[in-house]
Amino acid sequence: MTAQALDGPVRTALADLLLAMADDEFVIGFWDSEWTGIAPILEEDVAFASLAQDEVGHAQALYRLLADLEGGDPDELAFGRRPEEYRHARLLDHPRTDWAFSVARRFLYDTADAARLDALVASAHAPLAAVVAKMRREETYHLLHMHAWLERLATGGQEPRSRLVAAMERLWPDALCVLAGIEGDDLLVEAGVLAEPLAAVRRRWLAGLAPELERLGLPPAPATPPTRCRGPERPDDFRWLWEQFTMVRRSDPEAVW
Amino acid sequence: MAGQPMQVYEVFRREREGGAMQHAGNLLAPDPELASHYAREFYGRRQESVRLWIVPRAAIIDLDDPDLLQPPFDRSFKKPAGYSTEIKAKLAAARARAGTEAEEAER
Repeated sequence: MTAQALDGPVRTALADLLLAMADDEFVIGFWDSEWTGIAPILEEDVAFASLAQDEVGHAQALYRLLADLEGGDPDELAFGRRPEEYRHARLLDHPRTDWAFSVARRFLYDTADAARLDALVASAHAPLAAVVAKMRREETYHLLHMHAWLERLATGGQEPRSRLVAAMERLWPDALCVLAGIEGDDLLVEAGVLAEPLAAVRRRWLAGLAPELERLGLPPAPATPPTRCRGPERPDDFRWLWEQFTMVRRSDPEAVW
Repeated sequence: MAGQPMQVYEVFRREREGGAMQHAGNLLAPDPELASHYAREFYGRRQESVRLWIVPRAAIIDLDDPDLLQPPFDRSFKKPAGYSTEIKAKLAAARARAGTEAEEAER
Protein backbone atom coordinates (compact mmCIF):
# COMPACT_ATOMS: atom_id res chain seq x y z
CA MET A 1 0.00 0.00 0.00
CA THR A 2 1.43 3.37 -0.94
CA ALA A 3 1.07 6.49 1.17
CA GLN A 4 -1.39 7.92 -1.35
CA ALA A 5 -3.74 4.96 -0.91
CA LEU A 6 -4.27 5.81 2.76
CA ASP A 7 -7.30 7.98 3.41
CA GLY A 8 -7.44 10.87 5.89
CA PRO A 9 -8.20 9.34 9.29
CA VAL A 10 -6.13 6.17 8.68
CA ARG A 11 -3.24 8.26 7.53
CA THR A 12 -3.51 10.50 10.61
CA ALA A 13 -3.56 7.44 12.87
CA LEU A 14 -0.57 5.92 11.09
CA ALA A 15 1.35 9.19 11.41
CA ASP A 16 0.61 9.27 15.14
CA LEU A 17 1.69 5.63 15.57
CA LEU A 18 4.95 6.28 13.70
CA LEU A 19 5.67 9.40 15.74
CA ALA A 20 4.88 7.62 19.03
CA MET A 21 7.12 4.66 18.14
CA ALA A 22 9.92 6.88 16.89
CA ASP A 23 9.78 9.04 20.03
CA ASP A 24 9.75 5.93 22.26
CA GLU A 25 12.91 4.62 20.61
CA PHE A 26 14.55 8.03 20.52
CA VAL A 27 13.96 8.89 24.17
CA ILE A 28 14.94 5.50 25.61
CA GLY A 29 18.03 5.66 23.42
CA PHE A 30 19.05 8.95 25.03
CA TRP A 31 18.28 7.89 28.59
CA ASP A 32 20.21 4.64 28.30
CA SER A 33 23.17 6.25 26.58
CA GLU A 34 23.72 7.98 29.93
CA TRP A 35 25.21 4.70 31.19
CA THR A 36 28.19 5.14 28.87
CA GLY A 37 31.24 5.13 31.10
CA ILE A 38 29.41 4.24 34.33
CA ALA A 39 27.77 0.84 33.76
CA PRO A 40 28.58 -1.94 36.28
CA ILE A 41 31.45 -3.38 34.22
CA LEU A 42 33.29 -2.25 31.09
CA GLU A 43 31.72 -5.03 29.01
CA GLU A 44 28.22 -3.99 30.04
CA ASP A 45 29.08 -0.39 29.37
CA VAL A 46 29.73 -1.29 25.74
CA ALA A 47 26.66 -3.54 25.55
CA PHE A 48 24.18 -1.07 27.03
CA ALA A 49 25.50 1.85 24.98
CA SER A 50 25.20 -0.35 21.89
CA LEU A 51 21.57 -1.16 22.71
CA ALA A 52 20.89 2.55 23.17
CA GLN A 53 22.52 3.31 19.85
CA ASP A 54 20.37 0.67 18.14
CA GLU A 55 17.26 2.44 19.43
CA VAL A 56 18.36 5.79 18.09
CA GLY A 57 18.94 4.04 14.75
CA HIS A 58 15.41 2.62 14.87
CA ALA A 59 14.08 6.08 15.69
CA GLN A 60 15.88 7.48 12.67
CA ALA A 61 14.27 4.88 10.38
CA LEU A 62 10.82 5.60 11.85
CA TYR A 63 11.19 9.40 11.60
CA ARG A 64 12.18 8.81 7.96
CA LEU A 65 8.98 6.78 7.36
CA LEU A 66 6.95 9.58 8.90
CA ALA A 67 8.70 12.19 6.78
CA ASP A 68 7.99 10.11 3.67
CA LEU A 69 4.33 9.89 4.65
CA GLU A 70 3.68 13.44 5.79
CA GLY A 71 6.57 15.45 4.40
CA GLY A 72 9.19 17.13 6.55
CA ASP A 73 12.69 16.39 7.67
CA PRO A 74 13.63 13.49 10.01
CA ASP A 75 16.17 15.62 11.90
CA GLU A 76 13.63 18.37 12.38
CA LEU A 77 11.16 15.77 13.71
CA ALA A 78 13.76 14.38 16.09
CA PHE A 79 15.26 17.62 17.42
CA GLY A 80 13.03 20.46 16.30
CA ARG A 81 9.97 20.09 18.56
CA ARG A 82 9.08 21.47 21.96
CA PRO A 83 9.08 18.95 24.87
CA GLU A 84 5.26 18.91 25.00
CA GLU A 85 5.09 17.88 21.33
CA TYR A 86 6.88 14.56 21.90
CA ARG A 87 4.63 11.49 21.87
CA HIS A 88 6.71 8.93 23.80
CA ALA A 89 5.08 6.80 26.49
CA ARG A 90 5.21 7.92 30.11
CA LEU A 91 7.52 4.99 30.86
CA LEU A 92 10.22 7.07 29.20
CA ASP A 93 9.63 10.19 31.27
CA HIS A 94 11.55 8.70 34.20
CA PRO A 95 15.24 9.51 34.67
CA ARG A 96 17.95 6.87 34.46
CA THR A 97 17.98 6.40 38.28
CA ASP A 98 19.97 3.28 39.33
CA TRP A 99 21.07 0.24 37.33
CA ALA A 100 18.14 -1.94 38.46
CA PHE A 101 15.74 0.83 37.43
CA SER A 102 17.27 1.13 33.95
CA VAL A 103 17.26 -2.66 33.54
CA ALA A 104 13.62 -2.89 34.67
CA ARG A 105 12.60 -0.10 32.31
CA ARG A 106 14.45 -1.52 29.34
CA PHE A 107 13.09 -5.01 30.04
CA LEU A 108 9.52 -3.71 30.15
CA TYR A 109 10.05 -1.51 27.11
CA ASP A 110 11.80 -4.09 24.94
CA THR A 111 9.24 -6.81 25.64
CA ALA A 112 6.32 -4.42 24.97
CA ASP A 113 8.02 -3.15 21.82
CA ALA A 114 8.53 -6.73 20.63
CA ALA A 115 4.77 -7.37 20.96
CA ARG A 116 4.12 -4.15 19.03
CA LEU A 117 6.55 -5.14 16.27
CA ASP A 118 4.86 -8.56 16.01
CA ALA A 119 1.62 -6.73 15.21
CA LEU A 120 3.31 -4.66 12.47
CA VAL A 121 5.55 -7.13 10.66
CA ALA A 122 2.79 -8.01 8.17
CA SER A 123 1.59 -4.40 7.90
CA ALA A 124 -0.25 -3.32 4.77
CA HIS A 125 1.93 -0.21 4.89
CA ALA A 126 4.81 -1.95 3.14
CA PRO A 127 7.58 0.54 4.06
CA LEU A 128 6.69 0.06 7.74
CA ALA A 129 6.67 -3.75 7.42
CA ALA A 130 10.16 -3.57 5.89
CA VAL A 131 11.57 -1.39 8.70
CA VAL A 132 9.90 -3.54 11.34
CA ALA A 133 11.45 -6.71 9.89
CA LYS A 134 14.90 -5.16 10.35
CA MET A 135 14.12 -3.83 13.82
CA ARG A 136 12.97 -7.26 14.98
CA ARG A 137 16.31 -8.82 14.04
CA GLU A 138 18.16 -6.34 16.26
CA GLU A 139 15.59 -6.68 19.03
CA THR A 140 16.34 -10.42 19.23
CA TYR A 141 19.59 -9.55 20.96
CA HIS A 142 18.02 -6.82 23.10
CA LEU A 143 15.51 -9.33 24.43
CA LEU A 144 18.16 -11.98 25.16
CA HIS A 145 20.24 -9.44 27.02
CA MET A 146 17.40 -7.98 29.06
CA HIS A 147 15.98 -11.39 30.03
CA ALA A 148 19.50 -12.31 31.18
CA TRP A 149 19.79 -9.17 33.33
CA LEU A 150 16.30 -9.44 34.79
CA GLU A 151 17.09 -12.97 35.91
CA ARG A 152 20.42 -11.97 37.43
CA LEU A 153 19.05 -9.04 39.40
CA ALA A 154 16.01 -11.03 40.54
CA THR A 155 18.12 -13.92 41.82
CA GLY A 156 21.39 -12.15 42.59
CA GLY A 157 20.98 -11.41 46.28
CA GLN A 158 18.94 -9.14 48.48
CA GLU A 159 20.01 -5.69 47.35
CA PRO A 160 19.75 -6.18 43.57
CA ARG A 161 16.44 -7.95 44.05
CA SER A 162 14.89 -5.30 46.28
CA ARG A 163 16.02 -2.53 43.92
CA LEU A 164 14.57 -4.41 40.96
CA VAL A 165 11.24 -5.02 42.69
CA ALA A 166 11.01 -1.36 43.73
CA ALA A 167 11.76 -0.25 40.15
CA MET A 168 9.15 -2.56 38.66
CA GLU A 169 6.49 -1.42 41.11
CA ARG A 170 7.26 2.17 40.23
CA LEU A 171 7.35 1.59 36.47
CA TRP A 172 4.53 -0.90 35.84
CA PRO A 173 1.61 1.52 35.33
CA ASP A 174 3.64 3.70 32.96
CA ALA A 175 4.97 0.65 31.12
CA LEU A 176 1.42 -0.16 30.00
CA CYS A 177 1.51 3.17 28.15
CA VAL A 178 3.92 1.75 25.55
CA LEU A 179 0.90 -0.12 24.16
CA ALA A 180 -1.68 2.63 24.67
CA GLY A 181 -2.43 6.24 23.84
CA ILE A 182 -2.67 6.03 20.05
CA GLU A 183 -5.93 7.45 18.70
CA GLY A 184 -7.46 5.44 15.88
CA ASP A 185 -5.63 2.14 16.30
CA ASP A 186 -8.95 0.46 15.39
CA LEU A 187 -8.82 2.26 12.02
CA LEU A 188 -5.29 0.96 11.52
CA VAL A 189 -6.52 -2.58 12.19
CA GLU A 190 -9.34 -2.16 9.65
CA ALA A 191 -6.87 -0.90 7.06
CA GLY A 192 -4.51 -3.84 7.70
CA VAL A 193 -1.72 -1.57 8.93
CA LEU A 194 -1.80 -3.09 12.42
CA ALA A 195 -2.73 -6.74 13.12
CA GLU A 196 -4.79 -6.10 16.25
CA PRO A 197 -5.82 -3.17 18.47
CA LEU A 198 -3.19 -1.98 20.96
CA ALA A 199 -5.25 -3.24 23.91
CA ALA A 200 -5.03 -6.76 22.41
CA VAL A 201 -1.29 -6.36 21.79
CA ARG A 202 -0.98 -5.31 25.43
CA ARG A 203 -2.84 -8.39 26.66
CA ARG A 204 -0.66 -10.65 24.50
CA TRP A 205 2.48 -8.99 25.86
CA LEU A 206 1.37 -9.37 29.49
CA ALA A 207 0.24 -12.96 29.02
CA GLY A 208 3.66 -13.76 27.56
CA LEU A 209 5.50 -12.15 30.48
CA ALA A 210 3.38 -13.60 33.29
CA PRO A 211 5.13 -17.01 33.65
CA GLU A 212 8.60 -15.43 33.82
CA LEU A 213 7.51 -12.81 36.37
CA GLU A 214 5.84 -15.48 38.46
CA ARG A 215 8.88 -17.75 38.33
CA LEU A 216 11.13 -14.90 39.47
CA GLY A 217 8.62 -13.64 42.04
CA LEU A 218 8.43 -10.18 40.47
CA PRO A 219 5.43 -7.83 40.67
CA PRO A 220 2.67 -8.54 38.14
CA ALA A 221 1.21 -5.86 35.86
CA PRO A 222 -1.60 -3.60 37.08
CA ALA A 223 -4.95 -3.89 35.34
CA THR A 224 -5.10 -0.64 33.39
CA PRO A 225 -2.75 2.04 32.06
CA PRO A 226 -2.93 5.65 33.29
CA THR A 227 -5.41 7.88 31.45
CA ARG A 228 -2.82 10.14 29.84
CA CYS A 229 -0.11 7.96 28.37
CA ARG A 230 1.71 10.08 25.81
CA GLY A 231 1.82 13.69 26.92
CA PRO A 232 1.41 16.56 26.42
CA GLU A 233 2.27 17.09 30.10
CA ARG A 234 5.89 16.18 30.77
CA PRO A 235 7.83 16.14 34.02
CA ASP A 236 11.01 18.13 34.64
CA ASP A 237 13.10 14.99 34.16
CA PHE A 238 12.10 14.76 30.51
CA ARG A 239 12.51 18.50 30.04
CA TRP A 240 16.05 18.16 31.34
CA LEU A 241 16.77 15.33 28.87
CA TRP A 242 15.23 17.38 26.06
CA GLU A 243 17.54 20.29 26.95
CA GLN A 244 20.46 17.85 26.69
CA PHE A 245 19.61 16.19 23.41
CA THR A 246 18.58 19.38 21.62
CA MET A 247 21.42 21.51 23.03
CA VAL A 248 23.78 21.25 20.08
CA ARG A 249 21.09 21.73 17.49
CA ARG A 250 19.59 24.72 19.28
CA SER A 251 23.01 26.35 19.42
CA ASP A 252 22.94 26.63 15.61
CA PRO A 253 19.83 25.23 13.88
CA GLU A 254 21.22 26.10 10.43
CA ALA A 255 24.46 24.16 10.88
CA VAL A 256 25.20 21.46 8.30
CA TRP A 257 26.71 18.23 9.66
CA MET B 1 25.96 -11.31 39.53
CA ALA B 2 26.51 -11.21 43.28
CA GLY B 3 29.16 -13.70 44.31
CA GLN B 4 29.83 -14.70 40.70
CA PRO B 5 33.55 -14.27 40.07
CA MET B 6 34.41 -12.72 36.75
CA GLN B 7 36.15 -15.02 34.29
CA VAL B 8 38.25 -14.30 31.25
CA TYR B 9 36.86 -15.62 27.96
CA GLU B 10 38.90 -15.79 24.79
CA VAL B 11 36.98 -15.01 21.61
CA PHE B 12 37.63 -16.38 18.14
CA ARG B 13 35.90 -15.08 15.07
CA ARG B 14 35.29 -16.07 11.47
CA GLU B 15 35.21 -13.08 9.19
CA ARG B 16 33.48 -14.74 6.23
CA GLU B 17 32.07 -18.14 5.31
CA GLY B 18 34.83 -20.62 4.61
CA GLY B 19 37.47 -18.60 6.47
CA ALA B 20 39.48 -19.83 9.44
CA MET B 21 38.53 -19.08 13.03
CA GLN B 22 41.03 -16.51 14.27
CA HIS B 23 41.72 -15.16 17.71
CA ALA B 24 39.93 -11.84 18.15
CA GLY B 25 40.65 -10.92 21.76
CA ASN B 26 39.19 -11.49 25.19
CA LEU B 27 36.68 -10.17 27.69
CA LEU B 28 35.52 -10.53 31.28
CA ALA B 29 32.11 -11.96 32.13
CA PRO B 30 30.44 -13.56 35.13
CA ASP B 31 28.98 -16.49 33.18
CA PRO B 32 28.85 -18.07 29.69
CA GLU B 33 25.57 -16.40 28.70
CA LEU B 34 26.78 -12.85 29.32
CA ALA B 35 30.14 -13.82 27.82
CA SER B 36 28.37 -14.63 24.56
CA HIS B 37 26.49 -11.30 24.69
CA TYR B 38 29.66 -9.34 25.29
CA ALA B 39 31.53 -11.27 22.59
CA ARG B 40 28.82 -10.24 20.18
CA GLU B 41 29.20 -6.62 21.27
CA PHE B 42 32.99 -6.60 21.03
CA TYR B 43 33.55 -8.70 17.93
CA GLY B 44 30.28 -8.91 16.02
CA ARG B 45 28.05 -5.88 16.31
CA ARG B 46 29.42 -4.19 13.21
CA GLN B 47 28.78 -7.17 10.92
CA GLU B 48 32.49 -8.06 11.05
CA SER B 49 31.93 -11.73 11.92
CA VAL B 50 29.79 -14.63 10.72
CA ARG B 51 30.67 -16.90 13.64
CA LEU B 52 32.19 -16.55 17.10
CA TRP B 53 33.72 -19.10 19.46
CA ILE B 54 33.72 -18.04 23.08
CA VAL B 55 36.04 -20.11 25.25
CA PRO B 56 36.75 -19.80 28.97
CA ARG B 57 40.47 -19.14 29.24
CA ALA B 58 40.55 -21.85 31.92
CA ALA B 59 39.56 -24.41 29.25
CA ILE B 60 42.59 -23.61 27.12
CA ILE B 61 45.58 -25.97 27.41
CA ASP B 62 48.56 -23.68 27.49
CA LEU B 63 51.85 -25.00 26.17
CA ASP B 64 54.97 -22.87 25.99
CA ASP B 65 57.83 -25.20 27.05
CA PRO B 66 60.83 -24.34 24.83
CA ASP B 67 62.15 -27.92 25.14
CA LEU B 68 58.97 -29.02 23.36
CA LEU B 69 58.46 -26.12 21.01
CA GLN B 70 62.01 -24.90 20.22
CA PRO B 71 64.28 -28.01 19.99
CA PRO B 72 67.96 -27.02 19.94
CA PHE B 73 69.29 -29.12 17.03
CA ASP B 74 68.87 -28.39 13.34
CA ARG B 75 65.41 -29.53 12.30
CA SER B 76 65.40 -28.17 8.76
CA PHE B 77 64.79 -31.69 7.41
CA LYS B 78 61.43 -31.60 9.20
CA LYS B 79 60.43 -28.46 7.35
CA PRO B 80 58.66 -28.92 4.05
CA ALA B 81 60.46 -25.89 2.59
CA GLY B 82 63.99 -27.27 3.17
CA TYR B 83 62.92 -30.69 1.93
CA SER B 84 61.27 -29.43 -1.23
CA THR B 85 64.28 -27.35 -2.34
CA GLU B 86 66.35 -30.51 -2.58
CA ILE B 87 63.53 -32.52 -4.11
CA LYS B 88 63.05 -29.92 -6.83
CA ALA B 89 66.70 -30.09 -7.81
CA LYS B 90 66.56 -33.91 -7.94
CA LEU B 91 63.39 -33.80 -9.97
CA ALA B 92 64.89 -31.38 -12.48
CA ALA B 93 67.93 -33.64 -12.88
CA ALA B 94 65.70 -36.69 -13.33
CA ARG B 95 63.63 -34.89 -15.94
CA ALA B 96 66.74 -33.88 -17.80
CA ARG B 97 67.91 -37.50 -17.86
CA ALA B 98 64.51 -38.79 -18.88
CA GLY B 99 64.33 -36.19 -21.68
CA THR B 100 67.67 -37.35 -23.06
CA GLU B 101 66.62 -40.98 -22.87
CA ALA B 102 63.35 -40.22 -24.65
CA GLU B 103 65.17 -38.49 -27.49
CA GLU B 104 67.50 -41.44 -27.82
CA ALA B 105 64.56 -43.87 -27.96
CA GLU B 106 62.97 -41.91 -30.83
CA ARG B 107 66.03 -42.28 -33.02
